[in-house]
Amino acid sequence: MVFTHFRARPFHLTLQTFKLMCAVHLFQTHVFAVGATSGPSMCPTFAVDGDWVATDMTHARNRRKELRIGDLVQYRIPILENADGIKRLVGLPGDYVCMGTPGERGEDQMIQVPEGHCWVLGDNLTASRDSRIFGPLPLALIKGKVVARVLPYGQSGWLHNPLQSAETSQLGS
Amino acid sequence: MSARSFWRPGKGQSRAAVYSFLGLVSWFPVIASFNLYVAEVTRINGKSMYPFMNADRDSILRRDVCLNWKWGANRDLERGMVVTLRSPTQPENIAVKRVVALEGDVIRTKAPYPVATVMVPAEHVWVEGDGPPGTSLDSNTYGPVSKQLITGRITHVLYPFNKFGPLEWRDHKRPLVY
Repeated sequence: MVFTHFRARPFHLTLQTFKLMCAVHLFQTHVFAVGATSGPSMCPTFAVDGDWVATDMTHARNRRKELRIGDLVQYRIPILENADGIKRLVGLPGDYVCMGTPGERGEDQMIQVPEGHCWVLGDNLTASRDSRIFGPLPLALIKGKVVARVLPYGQSGWLHNPLQSAETSQLGS
Repeated sequence: MSARSFWRPGKGQSRAAVYSFLGLVSWFPVIASFNLYVAEVTRINGKSMYPFMNADRDSILRRDVCLNWKWGANRDLERGMVVTLRSPTQPENIAVKRVVALEGDVIRTKAPYPVATVMVPAEHVWVEGDGPPGTSLDSNTYGPVSKQLITGRITHVLYPFNKFGPLEWRDHKRPLVY
């Protein structure tokens, strides 16, 4: 039996557990991960506390080139040590974005997002530490795309990009 | 199939081969984690650290092989350290640069940076290549870089063998902070 096998070989049990932990960790950092969110910056999309989300880590660094404006991204905060944030993608390389907050001083300043960077903002602009503070975010710091809400139970489901691409027929008419 | 045969393969040779293969594969995540978080052997490409690294780049194609130490790479950085970082402009590229200034330092920039002096912001560093200005895509082009982009430190040279040993980054003569 498995149990008797490992009871007779404690070192083997430790080793197999370590190997399993490495595999699980790599899965969570490169494929898919579930984690809790906290903070007011993404209200009303995510509550201040108690929401759990699932992140698709295959979008790290935008290596699949599939991130679109309006997607939610999980990234390493460039001005903090080993802290992650979740924000909404507002600009990709080459886009022109507003640097300030609408309705406040400096709202008319624009910047072109440099190569290899993006512009991220929180949904709750008044309580968000985002690109308005730390500037363009290097795509290399993006860990993944937030794809689903897991908890609270009643609100769980896939998160869809709220922005629809403009139809050419609408532009023409 | 009894449980015992699951843990101790039977006499069938194909089954033994499958189990030994699985045993080999089960080590891949361990090796990958080690390379990601502890240390990795890296080959230095390009000219940005010339002549400190790839000193023979003008005569032969040989590239230096170094030990890239990843554990706690972005903590306790010092001026002069040689680090690897994800390029801010090309996310898939890993660059090798020298840390020239730490957060709070005021640095005199080189061309093509648009401003003459810059104070490095919090949690950022200023990195430059060793070569003459214009030979390296570094902070003089893309500005201060976040410490979070740093993936490792070059601590030892493994090849060529005449340079084998710890990387003497402290002894490198270079005006680090103006």
